[in-house]
Amino acid sequence: MLKFVLKRIIYLIPTLVLVAALVFLLIHMIPGDPAAVILGPDATAEDVASVRQALGLDRPLYEQFVVWLGNLAHGDFGVSIHSKRPVIDSIGERFPVTLCLTTLALVFALVVALPSGVLAAVYHNTNKDYLFMIGTILGVSVPGFWLGLMALLVFSVQLGWFPSTGFVAMWEEFWEGLRYMILPAITLSLFMAAVVARMVRSSMLEVLRLEYVTHARAKGLSEWKVITKHALKNAFAPTLTTIGIQYGMLLGGAVVTETVFSLPGLGKYLVVSIYMRDYPVVQGCILFIALVYVFINTIVDLLYGYFDPRVQYS
Amino acid sequence: MESLLSIENLEVSFHTSHGVAQAVCGVSYDIGRGEVLGVVGESGSGKSVTALSVLRLVPYPGRISAGRINYEGRDLLQIPEKQMRKVRGDRISMIFQEPMISLNPAFTIENQLTEALHNHRKMSQKEARERAIEMLALVDIPDPAKRIKDYPHHLSGGMRQRVMIAEALLLDPDVLLADEPTTALDVTVQAQVLDLMHRLNERIGTAIMLITHNLGVVAESARRVVVMYCGRVVEQGPVKEIFEQARHPYTQGLLKSIPKPGGRGKLYEMDGIVPSLFELPTGCPFNPRCPQRRPECGKSAPPWREVQPGHHALCWLYA
Amino acid sequence: MFWKKFLHNPIGMIGVIVIAMNIFMAAFAPVLATHNPLAINVAQQSEEPSAQHWFGTDEFGRDIYSRVIYGSRISLYISLFSVLVATFLGVAIGATSGYYGGWMDNIIMRIMDAVMSFPAILLAIGILAVLGPNLSNVVLALGLVYTPRFARIVRGSVLSLKEKEFVEASKAIGNGDAFIIFRHILPNCTAPLIVQATASLAYAILAESMLSFLGLGAPPPAPSWGNILSDARNFMMDNAMMTVFPGLAITMAVLGFNLVGDALRDVLDPRLK
Repeated sequence: MLKFVLKRIIYLIPTLVLVAALVFLLIHMIPGDPAAVILGPDATAEDVASVRQALGLDRPLYEQFVVWLGNLAHGDFGVSIHSKRPVIDSIGERFPVTLCLTTLALVFALVVALPSGVLAAVYHNTNKDYLFMIGTILGVSVPGFWLGLMALLVFSVQLGWFPSTGFVAMWEEFWEGLRYMILPAITLSLFMAAVVARMVRSSMLEVLRLEYVTHARAKGLSEWKVITKHALKNAFAPTLTTIGIQYGMLLGGAVVTETVFSLPGLGKYLVVSIYMRDYPVVQGCILFIALVYVFINTIVDLLYGYFDPRVQYS
Repeated sequence: MESLLSIENLEVSFHTSHGVAQAVCGVSYDIGRGEVLGVVGESGSGKSVTALSVLRLVPYPGRISAGRINYEGRDLLQIPEKQMRKVRGDRISMIFQEPMISLNPAFTIENQLTEALHNHRKMSQKEARERAIEMLALVDIPDPAKRIKDYPHHLSGGMRQRVMIAEALLLDPDVLLADEPTTALDVTVQAQVLDLMHRLNERIGTAIMLITHNLGVVAESARRVVVMYCGRVVEQGPVKEIFEQARHPYTQGLLKSIPKPGGRGKLYEMDGIVPSLFELPTGCPFNPRCPQRRPECGKSAPPWREVQPGHHALCWLYA
Repeated sequence: MFWKKFLHNPIGMIGVIVIAMNIFMAAFAPVLATHNPLAINVAQQSEEPSAQHWFGTDEFGRDIYSRVIYGSRISLYISLFSVLVATFLGVAIGATSGYYGGWMDNIIMRIMDAVMSFPAILLAIGILAVLGPNLSNVVLALGLVYTPRFARIVRGSVLSLKEKEFVEASKAIGNGDAFIIFRHILPNCTAPLIVQATASLAYAILAESMLSFLGLGAPPPAPSWGNILSDARNFMMDNAMMTVFPGLAITMAVLGFNLVGDALRDVLDPRLK
């Protein structure tokens, strides 16, 4: 098992270097002189030169990359042009909000998707199943951020059930903080819920017609046990992969959701930094979110072996 | 011999978008306490569906539309589902054709064996494991205390079928429904598994319904044979008589197509193919392929007649 | 055979109708619109829906109904061209990578993996942050982000096909690599490519609306659905109705492609039904 984990992590390194390289190259995609673009049209030549030097833009490309990679390895994500603070510090302050949001959304999505997908498979080709299919196809078609706007209008502005301004962190006051998170998390989770629910349904359908399910019934197990133990554990393996991939949708969607609900998370920070042309922050945020995504999918890969013991030794 | 389980006029139909298929059509036979009964037929003859009907596990879209299954003075088709679950795996258990896919790949052998025990008896995990290991030893699995921690994919096909048999016999059931238990195995392993089942039958006294398409498998282990064709029992009798004096032309055809040791020449092949269950011929379903067809065979259903004491055939030849 | 099955699939047909309505809306926008979508009217700011302004007006007095109608043009333009870019690049990269194999295949697929290590919308945001928001940059950004999905499909089928006898035979009679790829290999992966393209069209419409909501899509005052929602967000208290219609328009557009995508999958891969 340990060997498997190590192998998986070693395999990860080239991908991580390439991910870093792509983010590094972003700043060089800026048409013209990045330093001039960052400072805007009113900047003096000296200002431009000093920014060029601060960003290391005056050195050869490969040298810049090696230095940048070295800094990253030490946890140095650069310094914000606007606030002059280390980017990683600002990320550290804002990421917990994004993590809360995406984790809550993940929980909502699974709470909806697992039972409904299982039920749809059990009631295959009945009205319940058709209703489920209509629901999920709507779920992947409705833009979550629009639903967020609508929810904000109805539940916060009109009905006043949830706060429409300000923010309280969940780790400071749990219940009050939760009130700020519920609408964003639910509207963010819908897309993922629909995708995962469909995956649960189709893999359950595949599993339910296998002989070991009949065998489990022939043992005298209750239908509940047959489905929740024998079928679900097998059906969950492919679902887990989908959950990992869809977590990226949550991280990406969080950027828009945080903007809609004015949540002080990493996504909102990224958007504001784009408006301010604070490129080191833009790079830092994007790289950080990508790393989180890669990390989550590595965990998913490692968990996969639990649900499908056949993969561990192959 | 005292009758233990008797199937009476069982009818099972599958309702699909192509129409209704009558998979089992008025099947009756019984199995005595401790008996080994061979049920022989080609695929689609309804032999597996009949076995699944005994446990009320006919897969969707199949439905048991009529009949009785008498066991211990009750009709299994009428009792509540909750009581039926107490019968499954405890009094009547079943093993399947493909040991590769009938054990759950996601759980250890121990988990799957002890689960069956916990489901029907109150016992500690330790007791359950000991019983499971004892049973694995009984089916000749080497080093059972170690093997029990394995997942099914660690075992060979023959070993998996042994595990299946061990699981099925954990609770000393009255009947074991064995659906093509050796078909998926290598020839040498087939003989070992058959031999094992035969020995267990003698030792534990569990009656075995041995379902197979291969008459050869039945010859050595069964005492009586039921031959099925297109959802009907076409002949039934003691194994010796069936092999020496088969009455139904279909059974005769099956016998002629068994390769004989040292035999020469071309193997006999029956004319035609098994008809689709959606469009069965009228009269006797075998009549289009029958070498001894008579005018009445295509008109009305043949009668069920006793041709010798304890030996019946469903054929116009004996009307 | 394929078309007959597809035409008998009610879900697919509903999807086709929804897409056709969307295309009709984009093609005949000047006829369908009641006002100039960019015309500012200070006398009629933030009005509720009325006989004159069916969906109401925004904070500049622009007619929202007309803006929503014209919005379908931007949405269709971006989704169609970004998926075209992604298909073209994906096929080129996947076919080259799979056909020639070796270290080049290794490097290319590693890069594709790296691109897929980013949440799709995030990478598009990053690219647009540096290139600046305009329509062709959105097409380029989404196209690049969706390229690996197509490349993987094509590479997979190239790998499974290139050892086949008919390909060997074609090589033996002296046909060039390009000929073999176009004549023998690509026609065999059209089915999964079509399914992927349909799904990507749906994603691209959603992504475009998100990007322009963030101010990274078509620059204002262009009437993209995301822009209208972004205005609605800022003036939510004045006119709540402004929020409803652009969202419904996005939902319908995405729904059409999702329905067709589902039907195609059912027809092409019945196992998943």
